[in-house]
Amino acid sequence: MEIELEINGVEQTVEASKSDSLLDVLRRNGYTGAKRGCDTGACGFCTVHVDGEPVKSCVEPVTKVRDASVETIEGLGEQDDLHPVQQAFVDNTALQCGFCIPGMIMRATALLETNPDPTEQEVREALSDNLCRCTGYKKIVEAVLDAAERMDGGTVAADGGKAFEGNERVANSTECAVNDCDCMEGGQ
Amino acid sequence: MSDSDRARETSEQPDRTGVEDAAPAEAEKESEADVAREPDRKPESERDAITVDEEKDDARKIVTGEARYTADYRDRFPDLAHGKVVRSDIAHGYVESVDTSAAEAMDGVDAVITPFDDVVPHKLYSSSGQSYPEPSPWDLKVLREHVRFVGDPVAAVAADDPETADRAARKIEVEYRELDAVFDPEEAFDDDAPQLFEADDVENKQSGADYSRNLESHFEGELGDVEAAFERASNDEERHVIETEWETPYQSHCVPEPHTTIAYTDEDDRHTFITATQVPFHTRRQIAHLFDVPIRDVRVKKPRIGAGFGSKQEMAIEPIAFALHLAAGRPVKLEMSRQEEFTALRFRHPMRMQMRTAVTDDGDIEAMDLYTLSNTGAYGTHGMTVANNVGTKPLPIYPRVPNVRFSGDVVHTNLPMGAAMRGYGAPQGHFAVEAHMDEVARRLDFDPIEFRLQNAVREGDLDRSVAILKDGDRFTREIRSCGIRECVERGREVIGYDDLEQPESDHLHRGVGMALIAQGSGVAGKELGAAQVQMNEDGSFHLQVGGVDTGTGADTMFSQIAAEVLGCTPEDIVVIAADTDLTPFDYGAYASSTTYISGRAVKNAAEDAKERLLEWGSNLLDEPPDVLDTGDGGVYSERSGNRVSLEEIGYEATYGDDEREHILGDGNHSTDESPPPYGAQFVDVTVDTETGEYELNKLVFAADCGVAINPALVEGQIEGGEHMSLEYATSGDLTFDEDGNPEVLGFRQYGMPRTTDHPEMETILVETHEPTGPFGAKSIAELPTNGVPPALSNAIRDAVGVRLTDLPFTAEDVTAALHEQSAGDE
Repeated sequence: MEIELEINGVEQTVEASKSDSLLDVLRRNGYTGAKRGCDTGACGFCTVHVDGEPVKSCVEPVTKVRDASVETIEGLGEQDDLHPVQQAFVDNTALQCGFCIPGMIMRATALLETNPDPTEQEVREALSDNLCRCTGYKKIVEAVLDAAERMDGGTVAADGGKAFEGNERVANSTECAVNDCDCMEGGQ
Repeated sequence: MSDSDRARETSEQPDRTGVEDAAPAEAEKESEADVAREPDRKPESERDAITVDEEKDDARKIVTGEARYTADYRDRFPDLAHGKVVRSDIAHGYVESVDTSAAEAMDGVDAVITPFDDVVPHKLYSSSGQSYPEPSPWDLKVLREHVRFVGDPVAAVAADDPETADRAARKIEVEYRELDAVFDPEEAFDDDAPQLFEADDVENKQSGADYSRNLESHFEGELGDVEAAFERASNDEERHVIETEWETPYQSHCVPEPHTTIAYTDEDDRHTFITATQVPFHTRRQIAHLFDVPIRDVRVKKPRIGAGFGSKQEMAIEPIAFALHLAAGRPVKLEMSRQEEFTALRFRHPMRMQMRTAVTDDGDIEAMDLYTLSNTGAYGTHGMTVANNVGTKPLPIYPRVPNVRFSGDVVHTNLPMGAAMRGYGAPQGHFAVEAHMDEVARRLDFDPIEFRLQNAVREGDLDRSVAILKDGDRFTREIRSCGIRECVERGREVIGYDDLEQPESDHLHRGVGMALIAQGSGVAGKELGAAQVQMNEDGSFHLQVGGVDTGTGADTMFSQIAAEVLGCTPEDIVVIAADTDLTPFDYGAYASSTTYISGRAVKNAAEDAKERLLEWGSNLLDEPPDVLDTGDGGVYSERSGNRVSLEEIGYEATYGDDEREHILGDGNHSTDESPPPYGAQFVDVTVDTETGEYELNKLVFAADCGVAINPALVEGQIEGGEHMSLEYATSGDLTFDEDGNPEVLGFRQYGMPRTTDHPEMETILVETHEPTGPFGAKSIAELPTNGVPPALSNAIRDAVGVRLTDLPFTAEDVTAALHEQSAGDE
């Protein structure tokens, strides 16, 4: 069957079978940033956004995302133009093998969209469905808190494209596309 | 058998430098004489690319989802078939027949293989990714007629898509002749216990195998005269004999990326594997052996891998993928499910240990006697060598104890197989040794820290216990770097050991526990790393290295070491690693060897290339090479200050009018050394005596890994290692029903700690300089997996006076121990 949906802002029609999960369809169509870690919704490595909400795509039937808007890690930032959350993970060395990281980052961006100024405990709770075997989570939690600080005041995404909910876009965003730039702090 | 066969995976020996436990401030003011003696040793001010938090070279690929792991290569293979393994659902028996007809009749099924097919090798092999000849027994077959645990592979399918492969696998009907099974390692010893192997089922070069008693290996070694020391102590009022027992469970690696392999034969008829492995070169050799093809016709490529932790120091699934590929005539991807990871792949060996010491009233340890019974499960991969390390890693913390005995038995049961797992026996051993030492101190009314430090290793000690299982003194090691005292002092301060505040509630009690930690840096006398540096004309370099980055950041560390020698930045180094066609040889990523062995090979290769850089710099600057050095992207004269850039040298060497040369350097490293990194793990805990529940308030780990090449990556290793160690102490376990069926099938049943389960963690790096390591580095990866179980047991003992001896610790365990304590008080 054919499923119409939007992936990273592009409307697409993809081939799918009824038993396919969203993860199956994404990976088959080249969106391999979402990883298959358990296929039971228990590890979070496959986390993507569906209509702005974080979901574990391995247990999301593709039939449920007809006409939905899906965002994956591929839509977030480029290697030389990272999203602040991605940049914070890089700068805080909050990654090792990296297998959990795309899911972790998608979970973190979802958190910061609804709660731009989380406490450490709120970060830990928000990420508690996403496992990591390498880092002991310490640098990951630090990276998310760092990202919150970098994005404080409604700095736009590093790709210059998208404002965060709850933070009205401000002008002069181009200057702040510098990934680790703090210039927007308090500047709103 | 020879001694080298007997204890192949035990550790090694280092060398030492001057000042004992030099604090960083003191290290700064080391004399010029010290530096002259150790040209490798650089004060921090002279380091450019090392001791720097260099960005991990794959970090941007990872955060954008562009890093490719094995399964992400599927789009390169339009005709890729997908594999699925059929596994035994009984614990012990023989496959009588396999009916594949229904599966084969399905549309989209490309191949079905069983133990009875010619395409499946019938040879014995070991899946252990160890050097040749593997010390682990050759006791496996690719598909198994004789199944020995629930999960043994008996057949496999390749199909056009994963769903068809799954459905076809379920249509394969296997008939078994069931045999009695045994699940308890002590019962497996009994005369009437079911026997897993006939002697001629196995090629086993290890010591003490007796398959009639399900014994894969028995080993023992002794220094001094242990019995005499205990005899003396038990008859002397001023001496004490204390004996304790400890038990540890199965632990899963929970490796993020499940084992995955793509096997294909390329247009040059070469058999190629893109595979999630820690050991590309061992896998190449083992595939060649199994399938009777020349080593040169096999290529093993390691892409990014989703960690290993030892589970991928195994050729666990590559042979099945390759047999499916041969049968299907198409590239085949075989990707394990999480359930297979939790039930059929590899685990940390469960053990039961006894520790006995003789101690004087003055707190001197006169004798140590450690025994371990290891349950290796159905097969023997890493069975003996892991058990060896139960003693040879922690006992060297106390190298001046004159009488030491260490022995063990490695026993088969009809349960999943133990194998290599980060720490490699040391987590079990540290639990027994370091919780025992704490118990001794408390029973004899010594301060647990002072008692340990009185007996613990110092620079200059001669450590024989690391080689206790070996003949001769080739592997006796001199301790040339040891920061264990500074680790203790700084950790003690940070955890607040000396001024702990007690909670106000009467039923809450707070305590602190400490464990000393040691590991090795590679396998003494059983390592080889090699690397090659090639200069590009723009002054950059390609670095080809066999070493394997499992996600730790090893490739970044390699680039930092090369850059420090060549005088460029790490970004000027293009790292090509771990591809048996493109890179020099390496034993692989295990035994904490990558920085110390492969990193040293990189350094040697870079130094070889540097000689040529200086020669070309000499020609261009018209000054002798011995006044020249590399730095800041060029070669400069220490005499005149003149300099020529690496780019100028690169162009001149490549395109010069008179002479031309491709500037190359090669380096090898192999050694009998394996210097121990050291650490101190502290745990702060609050125990609720009403419920038995306990809460970890804080973990502090202070580590001496020599010079940290990349401190941020070192911290990451420590924090991740403590995570695994925390799980081992508090929540990780596998259970089985009475028929040997696994009860833990996934993350939901397994207690892997989540973000909310982690206490505050603080990491301290104590720098020492290991003269045999690259720029003074030792190892770090395994060290921090050893500490939480003993430190937590010690902290609970400190808080409420009871001793927990059986991992993982539950609230019920605490309550039971408290009841026992109050019963004893009455």
